[in-house]
Amino acid sequence: MSTRPTILPAAIRMGEMAVAQSGGVLRTLLGSCVGIALYDRRRRVGGLAHVVLPESRGKTETPAKFVDTAIPALVEAMQALSEEPLRLSARIAGGAQMFKTSVARRIGDQNVDASEALLRTMRIPIVGRHCGGSKGRRMTLDLATGVVRVEIVGCEGVEI
Amino acid sequence: MNDLPLAEAQLLALEAVLRAGAAEASHALSNWIGKPTEITSDAVQQLSLHDSTSVLGEGDEPICFCIVELAGVLGGCMILAFDDASGLVLADLLLDQPRGTASEWGDMETSAALETTNIVCCAYLNAISRAFPHREASDPEMVPSPPQFSRDYASSLVEFALMGQAAASDHVLLAQTQFQIDGEPVDWKLLLVPDAESMTTLRDVFSSETDLA
Repeated sequence: MSTRPTILPAAIRMGEMAVAQSGGVLRTLLGSCVGIALYDRRRRVGGLAHVVLPESRGKTETPAKFVDTAIPALVEAMQALSEEPLRLSARIAGGAQMFKTSVARRIGDQNVDASEALLRTMRIPIVGRHCGGSKGRRMTLDLATGVVRVEIVGCEGVEI
Repeated sequence: MNDLPLAEAQLLALEAVLRAGAAEASHALSNWIGKPTEITSDAVQQLSLHDSTSVLGEGDEPICFCIVELAGVLGGCMILAFDDASGLVLADLLLDQPRGTASEWGDMETSAALETTNIVCCAYLNAISRAFPHREASDPEMVPSPPQFSRDYASSLVEFALMGQAAASDHVLLAQTQFQIDGEPVDWKLLLVPDAESMTTLRDVFSSETDLA
């Protein structure tokens, strides 16, 4: 599993995820991909996945690459940090179409749709969202507070 | 996990084709800016998805770039990327003014970057097209789109460009070049990123080529 939980602040690369507890920052840079941040406010356990595609279609080697494997893997890795059941909320960002090229057309939207659908199915409320558009994003999760910040080049950063 | 896009012999054959592209692009760029330039084709890289997004630099600093979409026998995109200072050198060169005169991305500077991208990419693609093995006159051309200029996070850009290949594999292939102008290296990078369909084309074309060797 592509989990990198120890050294903070952790830069999470394409198709990777990380989980941690109590302090530090997880961050990732997104284009068409989607960043999925999960957090338990009481136990201060957080996780961030940088997912690339909506469906794994049976592939198991890189769970963080796909929405349908990343979210369950993220939940499992976070739960392993706590003896009590976690109460998670989600924030998602990304899914841009950066250019009018055919390369990644619609993949961004599909990633967002698949993420939202699976989170609904798993009864994890989505409390923040910053998706679509045509620009890349830097997404950071503060593990002490659960605050997720999204920055776009040339714009003020926002908390979601 | 071994799902590398191309075998070693195929890579070598592809690199030979790209060297021809770099040579023609060097000639075109020299004519365009009126100074001797050298574009050097680096080895073609096959990277894991995780490692690929740092090819234009580590860190979160934004970069400038022009992107050209490719259609035809080779689909995907070409990207000319540079930091602000290196990109603005272009405008100084083209306006025959001292380096450092251009200080921000106005219409003139952006136009210089776009036109340079157009010239370099077209020359590169023309040479690749001619050097492509087993080409017939009736085969589809390589058709570049008009370039688009933007400023964004380098990792976000590379991620977007690689999305086509990422859908098919956990490893991606990209080719990178370095630039020298008037004997001085400049921090411009030209990336060639084939899409997933073109990876199949490249495997087929260079499989035949290496079989013949």
